[in-house]
Amino acid sequence: MPIATVIFILCCLLSTARVVIEAPNPARLHPDDIANRSDWRFAALKAALPKQGVIGYIGDSSSPADYYLAQYALAPLVVDHSPNHPLVIGNFLTPLPPQSLPSDQLQLLKDFGNGVLLFANRDAK
Amino acid sequence: MALVLPALLCLTCGLVLVSLGWRRQSPRASDLLLCASLSFGCGVGIFSVIFFLARVSGITNVLALDLTLFALLLASLFLLQTRAKTNVTTALAREPFDGPIWLHRVLTATFVVALCADVYSTVLRTLAHPHGDGWDAFAIWNLHARFLFRGAAHWRDGFSLLIPWSHPDYPLLLPAAVAHFWTFLGYDAPAVPALIGLAFTLATVALLFSSLSILRGAVPAMLGGLTLLATPSFLALGTWQYADVPLSFFILATIVLLRLYDARHSPGFLALAGLAAGFAAWTKNEGVLFVAAVVLARTLLIRNRRVFSSESRLAVTHIVPLLAAILPVFLLVACFKYFVAPSGDLFSDPRTMLHKLLDPLRYGVILKWYAKEFLRFGHWLLLPAPLLMLAYYSFLTHPDVRSDADSGDRASILALSLTLAGYFAIYLITPYDLYWHLHFSLSRLFLQLWPSAIFLFFLAVPLGAAALARGR
Repeated sequence: MPIATVIFILCCLLSTARVVIEAPNPARLHPDDIANRSDWRFAALKAALPKQGVIGYIGDSSSPADYYLAQYALAPLVVDHSPNHPLVIGNFLTPLPPQSLPSDQLQLLKDFGNGVLLFANRDAK
Repeated sequence: MALVLPALLCLTCGLVLVSLGWRRQSPRASDLLLCASLSFGCGVGIFSVIFFLARVSGITNVLALDLTLFALLLASLFLLQTRAKTNVTTALAREPFDGPIWLHRVLTATFVVALCADVYSTVLRTLAHPHGDGWDAFAIWNLHARFLFRGAAHWRDGFSLLIPWSHPDYPLLLPAAVAHFWTFLGYDAPAVPALIGLAFTLATVALLFSSLSILRGAVPAMLGGLTLLATPSFLALGTWQYADVPLSFFILATIVLLRLYDARHSPGFLALAGLAAGFAAWTKNEGVLFVAAVVLARTLLIRNRRVFSSESRLAVTHIVPLLAAILPVFLLVACFKYFVAPSGDLFSDPRTMLHKLLDPLRYGVILKWYAKEFLRFGHWLLLPAPLLMLAYYSFLTHPDVRSDADSGDRASILALSLTLAGYFAIYLITPYDLYWHLHFSLSRLFLQLWPSAIFLFFLAVPLGAAALARGR
């Protein structure tokens, strides 16, 4: 039993070493950018939106994470990934030239900077 | 600092709730640790239920509701203690350690090192990812918590099908508990879900260690605790702010409390086991499956026992308190599913599901993934813990050495096996791409059952004098 138990303990220690090795380095510990990409990015836009309801969403990112970070920041508003709403937010990681609106129906209401825009959709009911 | 008061209220509510079902037998550290870890889990559970009921009924003064419930729990405890004259529980005979003292010291030192390493790692991970690591934290769990907290009268908007992949049918133990704490603070501090995730991870380790210590002694407790502490993916998942680790806590709590009931025959343990099972169902949909598996396994256990003369008397004694405690939380889950959540995304039309059920290729693929994931779900270094445990067991087991697993343990093993079989059935009918679904979920499903599997393993493994003789 002692030999088996010692081998068991040693094998567990190996995996414990992995826990430590894969931990973030405390000397270079920086919080991730979730707050930057979510709450801080949409703070000004949030103040200009209604308190609840549904708004549309358009964006240029291929990563769905950017949509979810917008939804996370703007809750309790429901952000529908579609331009078919009277108010539509734009979330562009690359700055959008003013003449290149993503859709004919959308009218730019305000540019909040950093690729965050608010549009009105004239055709949406 | 502002979190201290609500945290104390949460823990005290949990402690009173646990004390209703169980009065400690001794001031031993393991009893205190078990009581503390169960109190934490039950406290979070009750906080979650209170907040959800407040939202459903439109009550805005959550503190008044908290204090009312706390007073009711305290009054029930007082009544129960004045009525209970006799001590119905019996002390457990723990197995003494017959091995050399150096082995005990090496094991103790290793356990302490592993515990420190894990606390260090989880704290750093939490600091590096204060909003959770991975999408599910901000796309599902914390998003639902924000809707519950910020939405006021419009909280139901968060369960709209317009938000894709947010799984609006997922139960609310974690989001509602987080929203409850945020209500006390007055803002949605990311520290709350982070601390709850961290606390559930450490409470699961504490629950495993203390229960094995009470039931088997210090050596199996440290070996069991070490096995869980040496599971890198479990520790990482605990800091992701997902609901899998809280679910693993409630599954383990159910199995531990059922084992304590089988050992001490106090109906309070059975009621607490039912409550923990109910909270498992209120944490994740997989918890509902686990509850069904536990009830079925315990029913089969009664049918196989020949101890009592009447089967109906057995059913009343062994099942009714369990079901009675499961029922209130289960009704809450049912209300949420019926009145708030849209239908789940895993069930398609019956014809498609039948077609998938009859496809033998799917069985082969899932079996292959089960076998593969069995060896790697813990992200171990070099030797997977399940293989290590099998080797350890086969080394210590001898035809003359009887396994300590009793029929209650076998019922718990059956419950875990049925849960795994249920997961298998869900993969068979999943509307999603099977490989994608297996890739992104199977390891987490295994981790939900992992602490309970370790607990049952170290209950069964012979570590006494006979095993020692075999090893010499």
